[in-house]
Amino acid sequence: MTDQTHALELRQIRKSFGAVDVIHGIDLQIEEGEFVVFVGPSGCGKSTLLRLIAGLDDPTSGDILLQNRRVNNVPASERGLSMVFQSYALYPHMSVRANLSFGLENINMPRAEINARVDDAAKLLQIDQLLDRRPGQLSGGQRQRVAIGRAIVREPIIFLFDEPLSNLDAELRLQMRVEISNLHAQLGNTMIYVTHDQVEAMTMADRIVVLRGGRIEQVGRPLDLYNHPANKFVAGFIGAPQMNFLNGVLDGQTLRLDCGVVSDVPVARPGTGDKVTLGVRPEAIGVSLDGHGDDQVTVQNYEQLGAITYIYAAFDNGETLTVQQARQIPLQRGQKIGVTFDPTYFHIFGPDEVALEFSHASDTKDGLR
Amino acid sequence: MSRIGTFLTRTKGNRDTADRFGMQDFLAYSYLLFGVLIVLVPVAWTFFTSIKPERAVDNFDTRLLPYAQVETDIPGVGEKPVWIYTDETGTETLVYKAGPTRSVTDVATLDNPDEVFGVPRDTLEPQEVVRIATENYLDPLLKRNGQENFNFPTYLYNSVFVTVVATLITLLINAMAAFALSKYRFRGRLTFTILIVATLLIPSSIILVSLFFVVWSFGIFGSLWGVIIPAAATPTGVFLLRQYMLTIPDELLEAARMDAASEWRIFWRIVLPLSLPALSVLAILSVIWRWNDFLWPLIVLISDPNAHTLQLGLTQFAGEFNTDFHYILAMTVVTLLPITLVFVWLQRFITTGIATTGLK
Amino acid sequence: MTLASSLMLGLLLAWIGGGAIWLLTTRRYRVTQTGRFAMDLLGFPVELAQSLFGRGGVPYALLLPNMLIFGLFTFSPMILNFYVSFTGGSSIILFDRPWIGLEKYAEIFTCEDYLVPKTCSNAGYNFFTGLYNTLWFVAIQVPIMCGVALLTALVVNRNIKGRGFWRAMFFYPVMLSPVVIANIWNWVLNRKGVLNSTLGELQGGLNALAGLTGFDMMATILLAVILIVVTERALRSGQEPSLAWTTVFAVIFALLVTWANPMSLIEMGGSFWLGCVLALGLLWVVAQGGRTARITLLVAAALSAVMLLSIQFSTVFDMGRYRPNNWLVTPNTGWPFFWLVFVFCWSHMGFYMLILLAGLQAIPRDLYEAAKMDSTKPFRAFRKITLPLVMPTLTVVIVLSLIRSFQIFDEVYLLTGGGPGRETYMIVQNIYEVAFTNSQPDYGEAAAGSVLMAVIIAVFTFFQLWITRRQSEL
Repeated sequence: MTDQTHALELRQIRKSFGAVDVIHGIDLQIEEGEFVVFVGPSGCGKSTLLRLIAGLDDPTSGDILLQNRRVNNVPASERGLSMVFQSYALYPHMSVRANLSFGLENINMPRAEINARVDDAAKLLQIDQLLDRRPGQLSGGQRQRVAIGRAIVREPIIFLFDEPLSNLDAELRLQMRVEISNLHAQLGNTMIYVTHDQVEAMTMADRIVVLRGGRIEQVGRPLDLYNHPANKFVAGFIGAPQMNFLNGVLDGQTLRLDCGVVSDVPVARPGTGDKVTLGVRPEAIGVSLDGHGDDQVTVQNYEQLGAITYIYAAFDNGETLTVQQARQIPLQRGQKIGVTFDPTYFHIFGPDEVALEFSHASDTKDGLR
Repeated sequence: MSRIGTFLTRTKGNRDTADRFGMQDFLAYSYLLFGVLIVLVPVAWTFFTSIKPERAVDNFDTRLLPYAQVETDIPGVGEKPVWIYTDETGTETLVYKAGPTRSVTDVATLDNPDEVFGVPRDTLEPQEVVRIATENYLDPLLKRNGQENFNFPTYLYNSVFVTVVATLITLLINAMAAFALSKYRFRGRLTFTILIVATLLIPSSIILVSLFFVVWSFGIFGSLWGVIIPAAATPTGVFLLRQYMLTIPDELLEAARMDAASEWRIFWRIVLPLSLPALSVLAILSVIWRWNDFLWPLIVLISDPNAHTLQLGLTQFAGEFNTDFHYILAMTVVTLLPITLVFVWLQRFITTGIATTGLK
Repeated sequence: MTLASSLMLGLLLAWIGGGAIWLLTTRRYRVTQTGRFAMDLLGFPVELAQSLFGRGGVPYALLLPNMLIFGLFTFSPMILNFYVSFTGGSSIILFDRPWIGLEKYAEIFTCEDYLVPKTCSNAGYNFFTGLYNTLWFVAIQVPIMCGVALLTALVVNRNIKGRGFWRAMFFYPVMLSPVVIANIWNWVLNRKGVLNSTLGELQGGLNALAGLTGFDMMATILLAVILIVVTERALRSGQEPSLAWTTVFAVIFALLVTWANPMSLIEMGGSFWLGCVLALGLLWVVAQGGRTARITLLVAAALSAVMLLSIQFSTVFDMGRYRPNNWLVTPNTGWPFFWLVFVFCWSHMGFYMLILLAGLQAIPRDLYEAAKMDSTKPFRAFRKITLPLVMPTLTVVIVLSLIRSFQIFDEVYLLTGGGPGRETYMIVQNIYEVAFTNSQPDYGEAAAGSVLMAVIIAVFTFFQLWITRRQSEL
């Protein structure tokens, strides 16, 4: 037991719908003022977890604590949280102003204060021109703002966001992402944000919680997750383009890859001929057009984006490799190029897909580009 | 005390989402149960009465099971109902009434029919057995015991004929119209649509008189066609099908046209099969409408007993013999049985179908 | 054979004969393709239209049969109605009917006082009796049915087990034919029928119970215990009194008011209605929540205790001998009318419930969750979210049922035949009897009645259009 006050604490949360277990015992602490993102593929239980926190569903077992107070038996309306829904769930028959003030009227707040809060929130979100419209007359981005506004006026302990940007087009999504980040900076509230998009997670979060199959895979700051993924799943999930995975065998400190590359790796505990997977990020691979390097690959496809070039290549044994270079490179399909690997940026995953520890002296993956 | 109650009824969870069976659920289920009883009890009661013997029906016997008084053939006397006589000592003897029922009634035992003695009326109880009175059903159906007036096979045939033919015609011509309105752009489309909406607003009961003139001048008055044809084109059906056909992608029709299919063939090879869900909803609606039709068949068919539908036949039957409740109720059950079976079989489909189309 | 029927026969022959010849000359069929040939023959006019006018002609050919029937059997009768209403006599051949202008309308409108049908001519008497009965029927039946349908839909829409079963059960009477319904209810409502005998037994049982010694005290104690438990339950859960328990409390409260009969203190009847009004008011106040809810509930509980002590249960429950009611026949009791309303609701409610249920289910669950996050109380969520969002569906249901119940005929004709006297004589029955059952059928007058009825229905319909327009503007 800690005597420290957490904004939110989950203890051994489990949830099953009938015979199906959706959440398998989750422990998590979220601190005051943090922006935490739950991320994971669809069906990983992240939205369910959010609904448990909100009080819209009940956990099958386990405790939910808000500011060290157990709230399992407190109904959603009395937990002092507010939520932005994926569909926004704006009341279609009420004006924007009525939408914003509805929750405040429910708790019998004086009219003057309601108006003041609504006006403040509207100004903050730049929807003060839209207050007399109905949700049906608003664009997607505007509805999004109204939904956020409805959450703001209640001055909640914690904001909950359930994939709020998934209904917006790419450009608007980028813009709203920045705005929500700014909002967090301005308000300083605790926010919990659910998304399946790792880019949103990386750009907005103070801390990311990666979920898979109802279990937490890893919790950490965005760059920690990027640089030190705890397992193959997190390594593959975080980062775009995806990390390359190459099969090989670890013998002592020597890594023999199936594609032919042999390399010394400073693993903390030497291997004994285990089958392992090497993970290496596309930007950590060097390229030489004249074919020299640790190995040769055949270019199958490439994408020139100007500032960045993506190369999709294959080893002779069929394993594929994605390489990212921050320059323009003249390429042709079928061309043989040399690739070089830097063991410093290797991630090695054992047979159980858990990342192997490197000896301390050589663990310097932080700061890669 | 209340703590224990809370503990017993409480499961994990907060007030909003708790799974416990609270007062709200109790009220909700009581309401539903009460409603279902009101719906079912009259129907069930009709059924239970319809299997009771004539005497029980005439006496308004309110017991659930069909009790019939035992009758035996007494030598030299004939068929007589059997009564149970209970004397002062509580001994029970089987007797029959040898004379009219008075405060002291003359009875004789079955074993010794000639020895007549008087007993107080209130010591006599009918001897009863549970017997399903199949004759309530069989007499009218088989035209026995003077029940020639309920011509069940004819009525059934007429009802089925009207229902099936009208439904087929409705499906065909409504689908054709819906296809035209949903998949073609042509001059006058809006006009046609508005015309069909207009028919939706003309209730059948306000054109009864003049429709009678029209049907009469077409020479189909008094025949089943006079019931079938005027009701075949339904605005509801056209709209229901049109709404559905709008969801069929035009590309499918284009592809068929590229394959050199004629428009008619596109209609019945592609559009009709794809509209099957909507067609079946309309089919069921149409069956209900036509099967239960009353006022218009009453006007058109009443003069010819051979053209009566089941509904008309039942009305006439109930009107003529309004004392023979046992026959009337049995025939009522016979009439409601087909639609009940269809409903039990297709209830999920019917309720969801009607709920989604929201029309009648 | 009339002209029209020979025309139809010719058309049919041309279709089958001409179609077969045309198809067989332009296309080739194998023997195995008989089915295809039959379908092509069925659609022969469409095929012909396509080959003559190209694709542009096809939609017209497709619309032809449907529009033909609409034209012949819906539109032309509509227009013919006016014509017939201007003609007299009892001939069925249109050309033989003499033109008499507005005479039939004048006959109907020959009244000294339009609100009192007795002062009218014979035709006017029948028409206005039917009209006023029908209007009464609509005014009473539609609100009751829509209310019950909405309530049932709300209950079924809850998170309830076996929703499909309940839904199907309530819908079942909709499937039954009017004749079947009439026979069933005729039997149930018979003077010696099951309803009377059940009521009789119930009353007999109560009388016997009331006659027991100590019944008064037992009833008082029992009710007091129930009252205490219910009040405690209603008040226990946190700050807001539980609405469900308050409902139970309100029912008991209404009963107590009825039995205690406070209106007798000021020498008036109607305690039952007073009880209902008070109970509903109590529910309303509690639904609003807040501290007033608790206080009101406590005051009502105190009042109940006082009333409870003042009630002589043995006299309340001693109702005397039950006299069987001839529900559908006894005049001047209002019962025939009541049972018509009841049976009509019984047989049609399920349909409207189904539509309302679909409307309720179309409201996104999200909204209720958002409302929950917004600390909305259940009753307020109903009033502020459910009701406004289901309003369009409710309007449709009200108008549909309005138009339907205005045309009521089958059930009335079969159950009461318009009787006793003219108590349940409806407007459609008037039209039907004038035109078809009189020995001297008066088609002109029936048509005039139909035209007048069409005008009233048109008013209803425009009212509907006006309301839906207004709603879509919002």
